[in-house]
Amino acid sequence: MDAFGDLLDGFGTALTPLSLLWAAIGVLLGTAIGVLPGIGPAMAVALLLPVTYGLDPTGAFIMFAGIYYGAMFGGSTTSILLNTPGESAAVVAAMEGHPMAKSGRGAQALAAAAIGHFTGGMIGTLLLVALAPAVADLAVGFGAPDYFAIMVLAFIAVTSVLGASRVRGLASLLIGLVIGLVGLDQMTGQQRLTFGSLQLADGIDVVIVAVGLFAIGEALWVAAHLRRTAAEAIPVGRPWLGRDDVRRTWKAWLRGPLIGFPFGAIPAGGAEIPTFLSYVTEKRLSKHRDDWGRGAIEGVAGPESAASAAGTLGSMLTLGLPTTAVAAVMLAAFQQYGLQPGPLLFEREPELVWGLIASLFVGMVLLLALNLPLAPLWAKLLRIPRQYLYAGILFFAAVGAYAVGGEVVDLVILLIIGLVGFGMRRYGLPVLPAVIGVILGPNAEQQLRRALQISDGSVSGLVNTPFAVAVYVIVALIVLWPLLRRVPVLRRRAG
Amino acid sequence: MSGTGTPAAAGRRSWLREHSELGVCVLLLAVGALTLFDALTMHVEITQRGPVGPRTMPIAVGAGLLAVAALLAVDVLRGGRGEAEGGEDVDLSEPADWRTVLLLAGVFLAAAALIEPLGFPAAGALLFWGAAYALGSRRFDRDPLIAAVLSLVTYVVFNDLLGVPLPGGPLMGVL
Amino acid sequence: MTYRQVVAYVRLRTLLALLGAVVLVLAGPPLLTTGSGADTGTRIPGLRFMVPNTPGGGYDITARTAARDAEDAGLTHGIEVFNLPGAGGTVGLSRLVSEHGNGKLAMSMGLGVVGAARSNHSPKTLADTTPIARLTEEQDVVVVAKDSPYRTIGELIKAWREDPGKLPVGGGSSPGGPDHLAPMLMAQAAGIAPKQVNYIPFDGGGELLASILGSKVAFGVSGVGEYLDQIRSGELRLLAVTGTERVPGLDAPTLQEAGYNVDFTNWRGIVAPPGLSDTERGKLVRLFEELHDSPQWRESMRKNGWSDAFLTGEEFGRFLAEQDRRVVSVLKELGL
Repeated sequence: MDAFGDLLDGFGTALTPLSLLWAAIGVLLGTAIGVLPGIGPAMAVALLLPVTYGLDPTGAFIMFAGIYYGAMFGGSTTSILLNTPGESAAVVAAMEGHPMAKSGRGAQALAAAAIGHFTGGMIGTLLLVALAPAVADLAVGFGAPDYFAIMVLAFIAVTSVLGASRVRGLASLLIGLVIGLVGLDQMTGQQRLTFGSLQLADGIDVVIVAVGLFAIGEALWVAAHLRRTAAEAIPVGRPWLGRDDVRRTWKAWLRGPLIGFPFGAIPAGGAEIPTFLSYVTEKRLSKHRDDWGRGAIEGVAGPESAASAAGTLGSMLTLGLPTTAVAAVMLAAFQQYGLQPGPLLFEREPELVWGLIASLFVGMVLLLALNLPLAPLWAKLLRIPRQYLYAGILFFAAVGAYAVGGEVVDLVILLIIGLVGFGMRRYGLPVLPAVIGVILGPNAEQQLRRALQISDGSVSGLVNTPFAVAVYVIVALIVLWPLLRRVPVLRRRAG
Repeated sequence: MSGTGTPAAAGRRSWLREHSELGVCVLLLAVGALTLFDALTMHVEITQRGPVGPRTMPIAVGAGLLAVAALLAVDVLRGGRGEAEGGEDVDLSEPADWRTVLLLAGVFLAAAALIEPLGFPAAGALLFWGAAYALGSRRFDRDPLIAAVLSLVTYVVFNDLLGVPLPGGPLMGVL
Repeated sequence: MTYRQVVAYVRLRTLLALLGAVVLVLAGPPLLTTGSGADTGTRIPGLRFMVPNTPGGGYDITARTAARDAEDAGLTHGIEVFNLPGAGGTVGLSRLVSEHGNGKLAMSMGLGVVGAARSNHSPKTLADTTPIARLTEEQDVVVVAKDSPYRTIGELIKAWREDPGKLPVGGGSSPGGPDHLAPMLMAQAAGIAPKQVNYIPFDGGGELLASILGSKVAFGVSGVGEYLDQIRSGELRLLAVTGTERVPGLDAPTLQEAGYNVDFTNWRGIVAPPGLSDTERGKLVRLFEELHDSPQWRESMRKNGWSDAFLTGEEFGRFLAEQDRRVVSVLKELGL
């Protein structure tokens, strides 16, 4: 329990009035910048790096912790309210969060997201404290075959979001996979579907795809069918979570970290895949299947919690491994102060590391304290008249796409994807599988080819770890389960 | 689409309108063919290890698209329909208002084209006002001002406060 | 009011609104943007640094550090740093070249951009830019996990020669990047055809590190700065460095000492758009000369573990051309 003693010392550093002030400023700045379109947490931390130059390292990192959580929550806010996710981990939040917001439950969706971030971050950070050394060892043993096995599992899970018509869901997934193919092949640098354009060489960003399909697609769709009768303003509704909401969400909040934390610990985990897996899990387990697609609060709570838990800085602090874009920027920040994260950091700078970990906790508490009361205010944003609301969504979607790279081409791509989104709505193709295809496709391909290359081309390289084999067994069970259930003996037993 | 023309032509037209989803099949087919073509014309000179190279995935996805296009066509011809998405602000009982959609897409493209010559604030304001106009707002004495202020504030936040540069317009460096 | 008056009033309001909007969007930005300051000495008002990769990457840190140090040293103020990532820096390079004659723009870059411009078949190369200065350099290291069977670089290369396919090499950059070039040059020197090398690209040094530590790849090649700590703590075993001189404080031979004729260092520098006047070019060069002499920059180099490799103007241009030739020759052998 040595770690917890160190953590207490860390709180001694993080709870001084000055540190608390830095953390609070960080949370506010982070939220304010995170809600801006096109600026995800990584960009927010990078942009705010100069703000911290005047501070000592401890103060600076405490402020970072605040900025980080603030920006993550800010990204989810626009995702829920305006259907325009600011970063890839917030994409899933739009799926159930935006319908909630449109039916007047925006405040509840925001509260579910905020509490989700809080519980996910808390549990994730606690696990980090307790398990850091063991997790570090495990993470290193994790290789390409294991990643690929998880991707296969994720693809199986996609089938549950294909919607009522399988063939239309598959069409959507394949559209996503094609978009994911655009760009330079990661392994050999070959151009694929770029048609010689350098702007396409890095592929099409998931955020552009999501904003195009969700926000632009919907704005166009609504424009084509706008109710000509005087639309009522979206009601704001009760500001707080009702007892019923809490009953539906508490399990989702707790399950999120179970999915998110392992991904945060492994080197190439990232936060998108756990949010999506959490979404699918909650959908499977939900008792309110009819609500899905129309604003199921579990679908916001679970993924947000998973995202936060995956975003802990565990493997960066213990191994110097940045698992997310934010962690990479933080790594750069460490180096600015002449600190090298890695195995020696805990020994060399214990005060700073434990101060940072403690301030992750403090940052989350402040986030909840500052943003929960603000949720109803944010939700009022939707009361502005429809014409301005959709004009604003188009405007901010364009800002987000343009500000990041300053390329007009991105706006054209955004519009084209928006038109695709329009067509998908018209003909009942679900949008989510396409977004998942963009996320999973390139990842799965890269890990598959990396695994094969490491084994020098031998297919046995895909099943040479116990973990991968275990995952394939699970996959086989899921696929075969419907068949097995038909076997009379089993059916009797189940009955 | 008034009732000119022979009954047979009208019948064909209404059949096509009923089965307009076949257009989706054609698009999927085209994208699939394009993906396959791109993969098959790729020059792969690097020594490939194992069965999976840079072409494998595009070929699989392209073939998948062709298959799905065929399956969807069968489904549509058998009477399957993709259900158009409903929603709070959506009224599906009226026919689609193509004028608004085209106007919005046009405004968006115009803004994209004007962003470099006129600067972000002007193009952004045009986008907002144009979109609001397309969606039915007719407050000419108010909308341009709202759009200009929104766009200018966004410009200042990004350009001056955050250091994300956006083009300022033709008067930069003149005033 | 009569009906006519009402109509006139409404017209007037509309006209005023339109006029107000036009004035706001056109005159607002120049009035609200602070880009002022006298254009004297090393001061270049409105100077901007372009970073051709994402925040947190190597070029980003170099540009932001240089901008901050130049301001702290009082050389100029208000340098704006912005990112334009894409295709290993090629997108940024194309933009830079298109800003013909713009003396208020400079791009941080390095060997990676030279390689990316070639491997992406970019129509614009660094020969189209105005070279300003090379700032820093960093050697690559050849590392293995602490429980790897290879104890010396000689043992490793002997095994590598026997079966290059069975010894996957991990690097932190995509094909054409620095961590890709280094093992290819090593292979050439060891008598292995570069095409035989089983190179596996990773997303930067972080992801690569896990694969080396877990012995997923036989050995890894990356910048020395990325792994100093892991080498010192004994998690990684350092077999060799790729430059011509040993790295102070690290107990490992150069490849040349081990008998393989490789001289590879990664470097970073600054280039500007083409078509600058002599005065404009001279001004940028002088800014970096003074930055190089400032205590702030020296302190930053020490903190970041960068080695000084200062070279300006013409000499840097010749160096760029020579690096370009080398990249082309390696890529040609690989058939890229």
